[in-house]
Amino acid sequence: MHPALQHPLAINRREFFSRGVCTIGTAALASLLAQDGFASASSDAPSAVGGLAGLPHFAPKAKRVVYLFQNGGPTHVELFDYKPRLKEMHGQPVPESYFAGKRFSTMTGSPQGKLMLSPVEPFAQHGQSGAWVSQFLPHTAAVVDDLCFIKSLHTDAVNHAPAISFFLSGAQLPGRPTLGAWLSYGLGSDTQDLPAFVVMTSVSKGTTCGQIFYDFYWSSGFLPSRFQGVKFRGSGEPVLYLSDPDGMSRPMRRGLLDDLARLNELKLRDFGDPEIATRIAQYEMAYRMQTSVPELTNFSDEPNHVLEMYGPDVRQQGTYAYNCLMARRLIERGVRFVQLMHAGWDQHGSITTELYNQCRDTDQPSAALVTDLKQRGLLDDTLVIWGASSAARRFCRATSTTGRNGAAIIIPTPSRSGWLAAGSGPA
Amino acid sequence: MLRFVVACAVALLASKPAFAVADQPAGSPVHFGRQILPLLSDRCFQCHGPDARQRQADLRLDDETAAKTPRDGAAAVVPGQSEASELYRRIAAIDPDERMPPADSRTPLSADEIALVKRWIDEGAAWSAHWAFERVVRPITPQPGGFAERVQNPIDAFVFARLAREGLTPSPEAPRETLLRRLSLDLRGLPPSPAEADTFLNDPSPDAYERLVDGLLASPAFGERMAWDWLDAARYADSNGYQGDGERTMHPWRDWVVQAFNGNLPYDRFTLWQLAGDLLPESTPEQTLATGFCRNHMINGEGGRIPEENRVDYVMDMTETLGTVWLGLTLNCCRCHDHKFDPVTQRDYYSLFAFFNQTPVDGGGGNPQTPPVVEVPSVEQTTRLSQLAAEIDSAASALDELELIQFPRGEGQSTADSEKAASAPDAVKAILKLPSAQRIRGQLEELETQWAKDLPDYLPHVQKLRATLDARDAANRSIPRVMVMADLPEPRQTFILEKGLYDKPRDAVSAAVPVNLPRLPAGAPTNRLGLGEWLVSPDHPLTARVTVNRIWQQFFGVGLVKTPEDFGVQGERPVHPELLDWLAAEFVESGWDVKRLCRLIVTSSTYRQSSRVSPALLERDPDNRLLARGARFRLPSWMIRDQALAAAGLLIGRMGGAPVNPYQPGDLWADITFDRKHFQQDHGEALYRRSLYTFWRRIVAPSLFFDSASRQICTVKHLRTNSPLHALTTLNDVTYIEAARAVAQRVLTGRAVEPSERIAAVFRLVLTRRPTAEELSLLTASLERLKREFAADPQAAARFLAVGEAKRDESLDAVEHAAYTALASEVLNLDEALNKE
Repeated sequence: MHPALQHPLAINRREFFSRGVCTIGTAALASLLAQDGFASASSDAPSAVGGLAGLPHFAPKAKRVVYLFQNGGPTHVELFDYKPRLKEMHGQPVPESYFAGKRFSTMTGSPQGKLMLSPVEPFAQHGQSGAWVSQFLPHTAAVVDDLCFIKSLHTDAVNHAPAISFFLSGAQLPGRPTLGAWLSYGLGSDTQDLPAFVVMTSVSKGTTCGQIFYDFYWSSGFLPSRFQGVKFRGSGEPVLYLSDPDGMSRPMRRGLLDDLARLNELKLRDFGDPEIATRIAQYEMAYRMQTSVPELTNFSDEPNHVLEMYGPDVRQQGTYAYNCLMARRLIERGVRFVQLMHAGWDQHGSITTELYNQCRDTDQPSAALVTDLKQRGLLDDTLVIWGASSAARRFCRATSTTGRNGAAIIIPTPSRSGWLAAGSGPA
Repeated sequence: MLRFVVACAVALLASKPAFAVADQPAGSPVHFGRQILPLLSDRCFQCHGPDARQRQADLRLDDETAAKTPRDGAAAVVPGQSEASELYRRIAAIDPDERMPPADSRTPLSADEIALVKRWIDEGAAWSAHWAFERVVRPITPQPGGFAERVQNPIDAFVFARLAREGLTPSPEAPRETLLRRLSLDLRGLPPSPAEADTFLNDPSPDAYERLVDGLLASPAFGERMAWDWLDAARYADSNGYQGDGERTMHPWRDWVVQAFNGNLPYDRFTLWQLAGDLLPESTPEQTLATGFCRNHMINGEGGRIPEENRVDYVMDMTETLGTVWLGLTLNCCRCHDHKFDPVTQRDYYSLFAFFNQTPVDGGGGNPQTPPVVEVPSVEQTTRLSQLAAEIDSAASALDELELIQFPRGEGQSTADSEKAASAPDAVKAILKLPSAQRIRGQLEELETQWAKDLPDYLPHVQKLRATLDARDAANRSIPRVMVMADLPEPRQTFILEKGLYDKPRDAVSAAVPVNLPRLPAGAPTNRLGLGEWLVSPDHPLTARVTVNRIWQQFFGVGLVKTPEDFGVQGERPVHPELLDWLAAEFVESGWDVKRLCRLIVTSSTYRQSSRVSPALLERDPDNRLLARGARFRLPSWMIRDQALAAAGLLIGRMGGAPVNPYQPGDLWADITFDRKHFQQDHGEALYRRSLYTFWRRIVAPSLFFDSASRQICTVKHLRTNSPLHALTTLNDVTYIEAARAVAQRVLTGRAVEPSERIAAVFRLVLTRRPTAEELSLLTASLERLKREFAADPQAAARFLAVGEAKRDESLDAVEHAAYTALASEVLNLDEALNKE
């Protein structure tokens, strides 16, 4: 545990996390705002570009973040929040204490008259930490000793979009900078070839209720727009307008940009506007991205055992597995904040079928990312967060007794579980 | 939580005045509003300010009486006696337990600031309101220092007097070519055409510049240019936003805005119509249409949302938009609590909210045409509808006549009485009793089913009538419906909502304006109309200041107050306070004449200065707040596109109408909406309309615009970043390659023959001026190389020329055309092309 995180936790752990991502953001920010900065933390580290003078204030442990955002409501009680009493209460009506005097979302209605359901898959303890994980997540179970499970998060929002906005920006309404934007703003970038804050999205196969990815999930809010997340697209070119027009060769582009720079230098000499110098540099960066981005997405240099670790979808652009490997490749190249969002965790009526698909799509790649980062020594200074905006409680409909025949429903509740992986042990 | 965010915002972004102290002549008394209030606001108000709930020790420093009233024997401020003033004692205290602000606030006062407070108290502790809440009094125009011969109008007198005080000199006037391009872009958003350039550059008359300005102001493109910023403020879009993101049809309102600017509708009426056009006596349809402004907010159709919660969100959005656009105040803080810095309470917020809380709008369902709406058919649609009405009449009478033959019956009997109809069910007989013109679609279908077999000659006539009805319904559906304002007959009770939550109503409030601002004008009704009249009453301290500042920002890239959204205590103090007030007074007295204000600004010497900057001036005034030079800043991305289309001769000047979808790479909509929405690119003219008419999908804005407002909430501050992603857009987007090809074609088919003349012509189409000798030699070398490269690979030239849908003149040599296209692309990407200079 890093001292920067330890301090607020020591005061009051429950309070700390109940405040949600803003406080986590503060802590993460604090832990990243190292005294010597990335520029001088070690002599071989590349210099940070941009960022605020005087930041970080103290030596950081984590330098980069991968946020594995699970859009929808992963049902924590099926995954890693083991509740033995659910099994005991299986088939009993939902107790009155659960719903009396409470208000439920109009979408799902009150659980009154519905029956309790025991976990669909059995739970077991894993690793040295003895963390409980269900059989839905065998790969995550294998890396629990690298994870810290947090089961006490809370939002007030019943809908996905406001809740996601809250977890990413600290406010339910769009308009605030998100975590990645704050980090790019405060700390700058460790790479001159790629943006500091990259976002990728994916959807589970055969999902019935995907949630839209709004661009305010990676907005820079009131910060300048260069700090907003750059969304890599899930199909075709990952960055818009990356390719030269048809018929223009690379040498021709190079020549044109050189000529352009010469003309702009004349203008700079004549007019003295420093923005011209920035523009020359940004055109150069654009040229470099035209090379660095295709190189980034070319997996041919990955050994087979690494590709296999992420699972069979890894070669298919736009999948969660592909994005997880991309996250590692981005982190490796000095990208500060990778926000990976996966939709489909919203199984309103089909938990016994879709949750299997959902876990199959995400369990192995998530665990592989942690392992891969660890094997390369990158987990020492990379914080991996797995979390969602909502969780889900499940009940049978009153007409069903088992819930295993597709009759289960889930109800989004204003709480969630998630895990953090950072450093050599639990964060 | 919220506090954290607010604190972050304040700590990181609070706008410190660039030259707050320097705008005071030396030796003058301490100015409370400019020098003391900002300190108190910054360091003290968080705990001792307007917000009663956060107030510590029951001490408030934002109120003169409270601060000067003795408490426990000591007043915070004792005029003339700093040593007896608790405020001074505490900020100067050495004991850390006594000292204010507390050590953990991290915002200590500097020794200079403490001394300033001491001096202010000793000078008598004169108090005044925050400058922006004081009535505008037109300042006396000062002597312009040593630059009298440069003064064109009072703007220059204010600016030059200040420059003289700062020991600076105004820059010389920019060259005529620069001025022409600057004016044309500023007033039309388009570059001058070569013919316009020839006319102006060869016009020796002394008033050539003024006549140019008048011509540009009279151009219909002026309204299109002005509309863009207003659409940002009005959060105009062509879809709802949120999940589903249904398409709406608000574009007649957008067209109204363009017309209003072109017709120079005075800003007071512009304001009244948009806030309360429906409530004006004998309101016209146009005035009601204008209220679409209020309804441009996002609409949430997400399942599970509670309609009332949505409805409250919409009313809040209207209230806060009013706050930003007219008051320049960040009202949104007051949803949950009294403002931390400005004298606006939570009660004030919900009292303003009450004005907008009277509509019959239903918060449920997410209908992108949620009533109340007005239908705004185009001329073509109106014609089509009357044609269809005539066709329905003739089809119905044809059917009636046919039934006389097909259904024989006695005199005075109906079709239903015919022998032939005897076996028909009663329901069908009931239909037959009706004249054909009164039968509705479903009834015609029933007739078709009934007689399909027995009367094959009859059937087609019924079908014909039904098809015509269908055509009319389809035409009706295609009529744009603009969401507008209306008030309920019985007022809806408004409550203060605890923490802004729709289901936590607390005290009831009635519609009222904030207590610390002027009262509603005498006789004004307590509804939106009264609210509008209040905003544009001559003694309102904010509306005129906020408006002239926004318009100034349009020309200089940054306002006289650089926080156009915040004129409150945390906003920037104006760098030229007297100029701002003079412009505000002038604007109101001119009858809120927007064109006149624009004319005043662009005819000033201040505006006409060259934007060249010396290293010394750059160091002294990096952001050009003192205006010792002309403005130089990157054009908005929409204007960069329009400029390219105009230079290419591709631009279609047709105004208004339904939005269009020009080029976008791939299907960006599918990606973000899980295949629910698919981008369908238009073809032909729609590719070359002005950017203003591009379909604006709120959850995924057009990809070719960068640094644009998202159009999700009201935005009045321009964003200008300098990113490699922008470079990729203007280098590679088909829009720009196609425009470059058309520029090249224009030049290659024009009069110039020599390469140097052709290069100069390309340059001139984009930049208005001719290249310098040095530029020309670089461009010539560039062209030579490009020709060689394309000559070596003619297929590449052909592929390069095939980018974009506009037809190419095939008679042009492909290698030459390709080389000039690449050269034109280079020119379109010059820093100068991307900038207003």
